[in-house]
Parts: sequence; structure tokens; C-alpha cells
Amino acid sequence: MKLSFNVNQRDVTVDVDGAEPLLHVLRERLKLTGTKQGCDEGECGACTVLVDGRPVDSCILPAGVVAGRQIRTVESLAGPDGQLAAIQQSFVDRFAIQCGFCTPGFLMTLTALLEENPRPEETEIRGALSGNLCRCTGYSTIVDAALAATGDDQ
Amino acid sequence: MTPSVGRSVPRPDADPKVRGTAVYGVDFEIAGTMFASLVRSPVAAGRVVGLDTTAAAAMPGVRAVITPDQAPAHRSGLGLSDQPLFASPYISYEGEPLAGVVANTLENARQAARAVLVDIEEVPAIADVGAALADGARFIHTDWASFTPVPGLPDWRRYGNVCGELISDPGGVDEAFELADLVIEDRFEAGRQYQAYLEPKSASAVYESGRYTIHVSHQYPFNVRDRTARALGVRPSDIRVVGHHIGGGFGARLDVSLEPYAGLFARLIGAPVKLVNDRVEDMLSCNSRESAVIKVRSGVTRDGRIVAREYLCDMDSGAYATDTVFLISIPMFVAGSVYQVGPTRVVARAVYTNTAPSGAFRGVSGTYLYFALERHTDNLARAIGMDRRDFRMRNLMTDGQSMLNGQVLSDAGILETAFDAVEEMAPWASLGVGPNRGVGIAATVWLTNPAPGQVTLKLNEDGTLGVITAATENGSGAVAMGVRQIAADELGVDPSDVILTMPDTDGQGFDAGSQGSRTTHIVGRAVREAGADLRRQIVEAGAQLLEESTEDIEITDGMVRVKGRPHRRLSLADLAKGAMFRRGPLAATGSYATPIPKYDPESATGMLFPTFPTPTYHVHVAEVEVDPHTGQVTVLRYLVAQEVGRAINPQGILGQIQGGVAQGIGHALYETLEVGADGRYRQRSLEAYRMPIAPDVPRVEAALLEHPDEAGPYGAKGTAEPPIVPVAAAIANAIADATGGSINRVPITPEDVLEALDGAQDQIRGEEE
Amino acid sequence: MEFRSAESVDEALAWLTELGDEAQVLAGGTDVMLQHMRREITPSVFLHIGRLDTLREITANDGMSIGPLISHRTLATDPRIARSMPALTEAAETVGSWQTQEVGTVGGNLCNASPAADTVPPLLVAGAVVELSSTGHRRNMPLDEFLVGRRSTARRSTELLTGISADAVSPGTGETYLKVGRRSAMEVAIVGLAVRLTVDPDDTVTSARVAVCSVAPHPYRATAVELILEGSHMEPDVIAEAGRALTASASPIDDARASADYRGRVMPHLLERAIGACLHRARAGRKGL
Repeated sequence: MKLSFNVNQRDVTVDVDGAEPLLHVLRERLKLTGTKQGCDEGECGACTVLVDGRPVDSCILPAGVVAGRQIRTVESLAGPDGQLAAIQQSFVDRFAIQCGFCTPGFLMTLTALLEENPRPEETEIRGALSGNLCRCTGYSTIVDAALAATGDDQ
Repeated sequence: MTPSVGRSVPRPDADPKVRGTAVYGVDFEIAGTMFASLVRSPVAAGRVVGLDTTAAAAMPGVRAVITPDQAPAHRSGLGLSDQPLFASPYISYEGEPLAGVVANTLENARQAARAVLVDIEEVPAIADVGAALADGARFIHTDWASFTPVPGLPDWRRYGNVCGELISDPGGVDEAFELADLVIEDRFEAGRQYQAYLEPKSASAVYESGRYTIHVSHQYPFNVRDRTARALGVRPSDIRVVGHHIGGGFGARLDVSLEPYAGLFARLIGAPVKLVNDRVEDMLSCNSRESAVIKVRSGVTRDGRIVAREYLCDMDSGAYATDTVFLISIPMFVAGSVYQVGPTRVVARAVYTNTAPSGAFRGVSGTYLYFALERHTDNLARAIGMDRRDFRMRNLMTDGQSMLNGQVLSDAGILETAFDAVEEMAPWASLGVGPNRGVGIAATVWLTNPAPGQVTLKLNEDGTLGVITAATENGSGAVAMGVRQIAADELGVDPSDVILTMPDTDGQGFDAGSQGSRTTHIVGRAVREAGADLRRQIVEAGAQLLEESTEDIEITDGMVRVKGRPHRRLSLADLAKGAMFRRGPLAATGSYATPIPKYDPESATGMLFPTFPTPTYHVHVAEVEVDPHTGQVTVLRYLVAQEVGRAINPQGILGQIQGGVAQGIGHALYETLEVGADGRYRQRSLEAYRMPIAPDVPRVEAALLEHPDEAGPYGAKGTAEPPIVPVAAAIANAIADATGGSINRVPITPEDVLEALDGAQDQIRGEEE
Repeated sequence: MEFRSAESVDEALAWLTELGDEAQVLAGGTDVMLQHMRREITPSVFLHIGRLDTLREITANDGMSIGPLISHRTLATDPRIARSMPALTEAAETVGSWQTQEVGTVGGNLCNASPAADTVPPLLVAGAVVELSSTGHRRNMPLDEFLVGRRSTARRSTELLTGISADAVSPGTGETYLKVGRRSAMEVAIVGLAVRLTVDPDDTVTSARVAVCSVAPHPYRATAVELILEGSHMEPDVIAEAGRALTASASPIDDARASADYRGRVMPHLLERAIGACLHRARAGRKGL
């Protein structure tokens, strides 16, 4: 099927199988490889993207359902001048990255969280991140980075 | 310029990682690549009697179906050459490769792989070490006796399903048991733990001009070179391995997995080939932490001394020997390194089963060996009515005492410092108080891997410093923080002016990979060696350019100056430019390997991993609460005192501690690959294989204890691996304390917790009667 | 495979009439995509109904009407659900992750008919009735009749789940959903339990509804337990008897998550906790009047 949607402020039309996972369309057809493939079953969250502002696991989302929707991936976070978004800069500054493979997914979930609730408590942050696995950090620095990006530090 | 060593400098790879531009192994593709998928065995044991590729070959996009007759038939391996590329005809584990399919897309390759018809005569699987060691058990490999060690290793005692055996029996053990007031014996079990890096394994290869180039995200590119060479029967120099960003390894990317297949297929079809595991095959084929059965028996005196010990361990090596033949040495280090124990007998065996070959996972074997040891230590204290912490302090190793291999621990007194450090963070008596709460403590000694590494430093003409090394940044920060900051300080440049290379075995000197926390210590030391040479060259060049004698030249703040005449100076950029056409580029190479510590080769047989170099010392304390009705466990507090030598980047080390403790909590409470009677894993997805998530992991409170090591760069020792080692022990001890019962296996399920509570109730009732 | 996205309920029903078993209805797709990717299902058409906004409405009057396309995330955050069906809020909060809650729908959860479906016990204790539509026909059916077995429902292949109605809690009624898993979240229930109790001012139980998941081929109402509780004052021996009856009503299995014995053992404790929570809420609700 011909599928049109908007990704990172860009309208795209691709010829896909509607049952193909959105992740596959993003990575293989649109070459947006910042979104990662970790489990293919909605468990690890490495493939998290925002659909109309809401975080979803793109690995188990049939591409056909996003017709006409707005998709945001990690590549959209930095400004047009290359400046990192606050949550990205916070990850860098707070040592929230080790191997980094889970990082794009965490950033997208936290982007959605902070847009919905600019000042979340630690327990809310941890709860919101339940669908994002990190094998390296033990989560604390990620939570710290999210807290720092709430603006309380600024 | 403020020295960068000792400062928490943010890592340079964070930027591409937050932008999503970092290219990992799975993201990398050689132009024109084809994709391959392996046909893997659906059963754990059997014989292939037919392989029909007709349907698969006719599937859309299929370029070739690769069958075992197209592959080298010989066996190879990490320590023992026992593993074929394809099971033909004998299948030894579920997931073992049987054939391969190459197609134009990964999806087409996978579909066609499913269409290869394999006719298998299945035989009952030998699913665990008990079955493998039973009288009359079928041999997993009937031709085991013909297997040979890899070149350079002498053979060791092997028999039937036992592919390795360590025996340390110094004499006098039984006599020492006679002197004990009490003898306590315990039996423990540990489950398999999957490394569960988030980036599935992949490999890309191209074959040109008789050489293979393999692109991969791997902890140990030079081992990929050597292992692929052995698997394909070619020279190591026929293989070039190029490293990319690594999405987590934790030991699982130390041996080869898909790389030899990528190389073979690329040669056979004459085009580049990429393989990518899906998560299920990644789990099925991964060299997970081995399961094991441990028996510990110790004699103690009423006044709280350990006088004799026996430590027996059977490790499940899986279908092939892989690392396990090395790891059977670890029980010897665990049994007698933290506490003074008297004469000790250690017997450890690596046992073949019809399961995926097990192997290295952060804290190799030590996690569960210390779990067994420290649970047992609690039981000893309890048996003689002594406080668990006091009992430990009483038996602690001190400076200058020897481990069971005869190696002297010159600085073991740090253990006591570490006990004091956790006490300062939260007094022992204040923790675990209240209903259903408990506290556990565990102490460990761990090594820093001694294997060699090499670095070339080159001063670029713009004054930046290139660090050319095959050392791998697996995410720990050892290269991005440790090596980079040490290099920056060699010339007094800002860390942002240090340029790190990605691994390439053609272009860089040997490096033994990110294993055993060796990178900062070994590669950092190699940087210092190279730095001394490079500084000498810079001084000479400076003397030449400034027309002074070398004694009058100094390097400070990224400048070359004439001593006492600060205006007579050159920037490093000007110096490098000036030197280029007068004396040639400025570069220097440094190498380092830890000298093997003195030990007693007679202390054991079968000891392929004979020493514990550059030891570090650790004490962990866990406070937990158990739900008496559901058996669920909450980790309330977690304290760590870790000896680090010298902290090159304190935040980096704290990140390793927090992450290591989280993996340890997984090992202690959630994670296991259970093997069914059919030899197949029961957990076959990340839904079933539970890793800790953000709400499960407490904020770890940590103290870094600095005792600079003479050999390490600025005194640094290995820091990244050991934080996982004591965790299962500390948590198990806390749960045993909370329940009043026994905890004898990891992971500890809610059912185990309820059973421990029941056991404690029965005991109270028994005492009342 | 063909992918069709319906623009109206009638269009969806027409396609279902045409395709029957050949179509796999797809709402959010969390379960369906997994089954498709694991090759457990092989439909020829994915019939996407996610654009049917008329199936995404909540109305809260005396009874609740919940559109089957309501996402778990909406169930977990909508104040009308929290007020009228708090156990459903609690259950929805425990379904997977934020990411899957955004996509997964209550109707999908019912039609997928997993033994561990979290939203089912709260709907069962709320007396839920499902509406099944096909071209030119519509029928209503109590939820407990709709669920006929493990991953099996009474839905005919030409029918679409078009409505869910249920009783809101009234003053003097308290309800809760409790779930046991290994981790703090991201868990398939080892046991999930919903209890709804109505008590009169002297704490006599005038109505009790109890439903469980993950302990039988499909979630079910434990009517024997309800009969024990009704008319009682929740005396300790009554609660103990109810707990035994709950365990006896179940037919759990051993699986990789937990043993049957463990499931049987925790059920009475969960019931006791749930009763305490219901009572607390029922009293608080009455005071609120």
C-alpha cells in the first residue's frame, strides 16, 4: 500500500506492506537508523518513537496504522542548528549513557513525559520508563538526567 | 591545564549516541551486501539424516543455500577445538547452526531459512550436569578424546562429558576437619544468566583478494580475527576485523558467534554478507553465564575460626568447552581469598550438556561462587552463634597472606577498610530492622585481567593527540573516559583534543579486548609508556626548533617551553607542524601486559587460569523487605565500598557500580534461562526473561576507596567488572535474614522466599516442641 | 498481506461479512502484531479499525459505556473511569508499559482473550456486557459468556465488538484490582484479582463480586466465593473460607512465570488484601455523600 505520513516535520510517502512494523519502515526505507531494534516484541523500548506525541513501540506497530499521523524519532530532537535538546544535553552531562543502544528510546519516552508533565517526580519518571530496558546504567543516571531536565535545576 | 585524571569528564561518544547517529554493528552495511540467516536446530540432541534445500533455494530473493559440505569440517574453539561450524550430523544443542541461507534481504533470508527441511532423528537430551555425570550417561561427543587444545595450550585431564577438571588438594584437609568443633555443609545452585545486551549480535563480511574483512560490534576484535581464522582454517592475518559502536557486551561479545559464518558465506557467494540475530536466536545461541551446582563444607571452631574447607563445583559448559575450561579455576580463588580458611580442597568440573555453550558474563562464575561462599559464611556464623559481620571480620585476609594458588595478596588489608567504609555509610546494626526486613553483607576479591594491549599516540599537526588502539569501548567508558583522560594528561591537552580510533586489527597493535576490567589499567598503562616516548620526541623536536638543548625544554599546558624563559615557546600544533618536514611525524607506541604474579604451579591440576592479578577488594550490603504472603522482594538500600586503585573518572566508576548492581539484582531475583527436560530453554523472549526495570533498582550508595596500584596508570586498577560480583550474595543473605530460612539458589523466586519463611516457621515449631 | 483501514463501522462490518475468518481485526495491534510476527496467525487481511472514532467514547451515567477502542492508557488516566470503575483504572495501569498502553485497547484485550488479560477481572466484577455487531444484526452478551476458553471467545467471524457496558460503583461500594508479578511493572499477571463489595452501614456485605485471571484458561467470576462473602461481616473465618474457595475454584498451571502451587497459595492473601481495600473504599465512598 502507498502510505503517507509525516516524520520529523517531513511528509513522506512509501510503498509498504501495511502489516510491516513501523520500525522497519523507519530504519530500512527512510534510513532513520537512530531508532533501534532490540527485541521485536515491545519489551525493550529501544524502538520507541512518538506517534502524535505519544510513545509507542515501533517494532510492533503495523505501519498501516500511521497513515496521516505525525511521527517523531530521535533524529528530530536536536534543533535545526544542531543544538541538543535539553533532555539530550542532560543525558550527556549526567552520564546517563553507557553503550547508548537504549538511549534513543529513553529520550523519546522522556520527551513525551516532559511534554505531558514538565515536573515529574522520581517515581513518576521510573514508572514512565518501565517499558525501556537499560542493561548498562542501572537507571539512576537516566532518572537524574530526567530530573535535571525538568527545569528545577535551571 | 587542570589534569583530567580524577575528574568526571563527560564522554565524547555521548553526543552521537543521543543524536542517534552512532553506527552500531547492526546499523553497519557494506555497499551491495546480501543478507544471511542460519538454519538452527529445533532440538537439543539428535542426528541430521536429511537436509532438503530445494524449496528454500526457490524462495524469493535467495542467492544461495549453504550446506555443511561447503564449510570446513574441522572443529575449533576458544580453549578446546571441539566446535564445528555446522552440526553434521550430530546436534548438540537447540539453536546449533545446521545450514545457512543468503538472500537479497534479511526477511527473505529468514523466510527461506525456515523453508529448509531438516530431517532429524532426535535423541533424549542431557539437560543438566546431573544427567551428564550420571553413571552410564550418553557421551555428548562420542569422539571427545580426539579433541585437541587450541595451539599453544597443553592438554588437560578430560573424560567423557567432563571437558575440564581442576583439582587442588594440598594435603592435610581431612586432618584439619578433625580439628573443627563443627562442620557445616551446604549445597547451592545457580541458574543461567543471559547477558541481554540490547543490540542483538550481527556480523558483516566481505572477501576480497584472499582476505576477509569483518565488521562487527565486538569486545575483542583480535579474538574475532584469531577465532575466525581457526574456524575457517586460514591465517589470522588473512582476516581484518573492524569494530563499530557496541550495544552492550558484558562478556557475550568476547568469543565469535556469527563472524565465521559471515566470512564463509561472503567467500562462497562472492559478495558481502551480513547476518543479524533476531532476539530469539540470540537468546538460544548466546554464551550465557553457566548454571552450576556448588557444595561447600567448612570446619569451624567455637571461637569463630575457619579451619578447613572443601569447595566442589560442577559448571554446565553446554555443548562445547568454550570459556568454561578456564573458568573452573575461579572456585579456587573464591574459596580462599577473602577469608583465612585453613587447608582447602577444591574440585571444579566443566561438564558438557545438550544446551547452548555457556561462557563469559561479567564477573565470570564469581557471582554465584561468592553467592555460595557468602551464604555458607552466614551459615557458619549462625552455627556458632556469632554475628555475621563479626565472624567475617575475625577471619578476614590481611596484607601478605596467600591465596590457595600460593599467590600473595600484599594489600588484602583493604578488605577491612572496605568493611569500615560501609559501616560508616550505614551501621550494620541499624539495617534490616523490623518485620520482614533483613540485611546481608558480602565481601569479595576480584582480579584485573592482565592480558596485553598496545597504543600508538600521534601528535597531529594541529596539536591534537591521536590515540590509535584496538581497545574497545563497550559502553563502560574505559576508552571514552579512562584511556582518553590518561592520554590527555600525557601532553597536558584538553580531553576534547584527544581523538580516539575505532578498532581495526589491520591498523592497530594487539589488544585483548574489554574483559575483566583490563582496559583502563592495561591500555592506560600502554598510553603512559607511549606518552613517555612521545614526550621525549617532542622535547627533542622542541630543542631542535627552538635551538636549545633538550635539558632546557619542558612540556606544560599544551606548550613546549624553554625552562625559565616562558616567552620562548611553541604550541604543540606549531611544534608538530615544524617537526613534520624536519624530522618526520611524531608518534610513539607503548605496550603493556601485567607480569604474571608468582604462584605455585603445583597447587592444582587443570588450572588454565592460574592467577588473580591486580586484585581489588569489595564489600556490599543489601537491605531488603519481603512480602510474607507473596514472597516478593524489595531492595530497600544497597551499599557498596569498592577499592579502585585510583579513580580516573569517578562518575564513570559510579555508573559501573550502579549498573553492575542492577545486573546483580537481576541475577539474584529475576533472571534465568531454565532448561526443560528436552534441553530447550523455557524463557525464549525478553518478556519471559525478566531483567530489572527502572522501578526495581534502588539508588546505590557507593564509596570509592583509593589505594593506588604501583603498576596501574596513576594507580588505576580494574573497576567495571567487579560491582556485579558480590550482589547475589548480599541480596541472598539479606533475604535469608529477613525470612529466617535458607536461600540456596539464585535466582531467588517468590516461591523460594515463601519456602524459606515456611522453613523458618518449621524450625521455630521444632524448637518449641 | 492486505491491509484495510475501515472508515466507518458499517464498512468494517461489510468487510467482515465478506472476509470472515480471512480477516484479522486489528485495533492497536500489540497482541495481533506479535502473533503475526511469530507466525501464530496467518490471516489474509488485516482489518484495521483504529480510525473508528465512534468506538472510542466513554459515557458515564448510571451505567458506564466504554468504547472498545479506548486505550489502556486512557483507562488508566481518565477521571471518569477512576471515579466509576477504579479497579479498571488499576488494572489498566499494570498492563505492560506506557508504550503498549498507548496502543493496546480494551476491546483488543477482550477479544484476544488471554488467560492473563488484566482488564477482564475488573470488567467481570462490574457486570460487563459486550455488544457484538454484524451487518444488519446486533446482540449483547454478558462478558463471562463471551469468554469461552483460552484465547477463545463467542465472537463470530463476521462480528465486531462495538460496545462494552458495565455498572459503575455506587456509594457503599468499593472495588480494587490486585496483581502479583515478579517485577514492579511490565508483568504478565501471575495472579490478578478484582473484587467489588457493597456493604451497608453496619458493614454487612450486601453484594460481592470476585474475578480472577491467570489461574484458569480464561478469567472468570468466582461465584462460590461471592456467595460466602455475601451476607457476612467479613469475619476472619469467612475471609479464610472465601480464600480457600477461591483457590479451589481455580485450575492454575505451572509455567515459566510461576507454579500452580504458588498461584493457589497467594490467592487467599490477595483476596484478604482486596477485601480490606474494598471495605476501606466503600466506607470512604459513603462518607463522601
